[in-house]
Amino acid sequence: MSVTEPSLKKDLLRAKEQANPQLILDLIPYSSFIGAQARQDNNQVLYWLDRRPSNIGNPSLPAIHGGVIGGFLELSAAIEILYTLDVNLVPKVVDFSLDYLRPERYKTIYANCTVLRQGKKLVNVTATAWQDDPQTPIANARCHFLVS
Amino acid sequence: MDLKLAIFKPMLKLAMERSGHGAALGFELTKIGRGQEEMSFPYKEEVVGNPVTGVVHGGVIVSLLDTCCGCAAITMLKGPMVTPTMDLRLDYMHPAEPYQPIYVSAKVYRNTSHVIFCRGSAWQDDPDNPIAHCVATFMKVETPSVSLGSMVRRRFNRLIRGDKAFEQEADK
Repeated sequence: MSVTEPSLKKDLLRAKEQANPQLILDLIPYSSFIGAQARQDNNQVLYWLDRRPSNIGNPSLPAIHGGVIGGFLELSAAIEILYTLDVNLVPKVVDFSLDYLRPERYKTIYANCTVLRQGKKLVNVTATAWQDDPQTPIANARCHFLVS
Repeated sequence: MDLKLAIFKPMLKLAMERSGHGAALGFELTKIGRGQEEMSFPYKEEVVGNPVTGVVHGGVIVSLLDTCCGCAAITMLKGPMVTPTMDLRLDYMHPAEPYQPIYVSAKVYRNTSHVIFCRGSAWQDDPDNPIAHCVATFMKVETPSVSLGSMVRRRFNRLIRGDKAFEQEADK
């Protein structure tokens, strides 16, 4: 692996200076594996996942794999911490809870994250995913991360 | 001898391992029983989540456990039904060791008329020292889309159109 702790710190600083969360996503191989992308959108970060055949879960519908939605939201939540908080280590996920609210279709998924609580050790983040309308979410995740 | 399951086994294995995200991840369903499955996943650099340590991303564990629990739920069905996930909850006990395979098992512990309750676990060396543990619930939904006729029609369409068929079906 070519990323070290000092280089990670430098890259995080650069992403924040340029207001470009995609630079953090680019450091994580899993994000390009599923094709996750991010950009600053007003004062929030918008995450999205374009449809691709390698993310299909149920080929008989077709629909995106439930695990991919979970992975995408967990990834988004971790990026949100690295991008918006003063954390220079890759956050360690402790628990992850996901409610599937509506059946999703084979098209782009969007997500927003909110940090609900930041402690010295633990951070609680929620992530909401939607496709057509932010008011009709397809899934909602809640996770705890260790950041020290 | 469970004849229905014996016929269903290779179909499930093929659907899970050879298509979509399952094929991209490259896991293997090593055991298929009624309400009890096992899987193994070799280490892959493409799915690393921590570029400093090389540990795989938690999302991979989510996908593995969701698939394994989902398979356990499907094997409990008696008719043309699908089992969408209602919720999935994971606890990560410790990070996975990089460069080591991950093993996953899932078990249905309650099967009611509308909901299937499932437990799953992921480990590396010792099943009693899991990386992660999960509980998942699945809805039972009746649908004609899993009837033999509609499956054959879709297979035929995909054979001709390849990946374009998925986009066409989704845009319908």
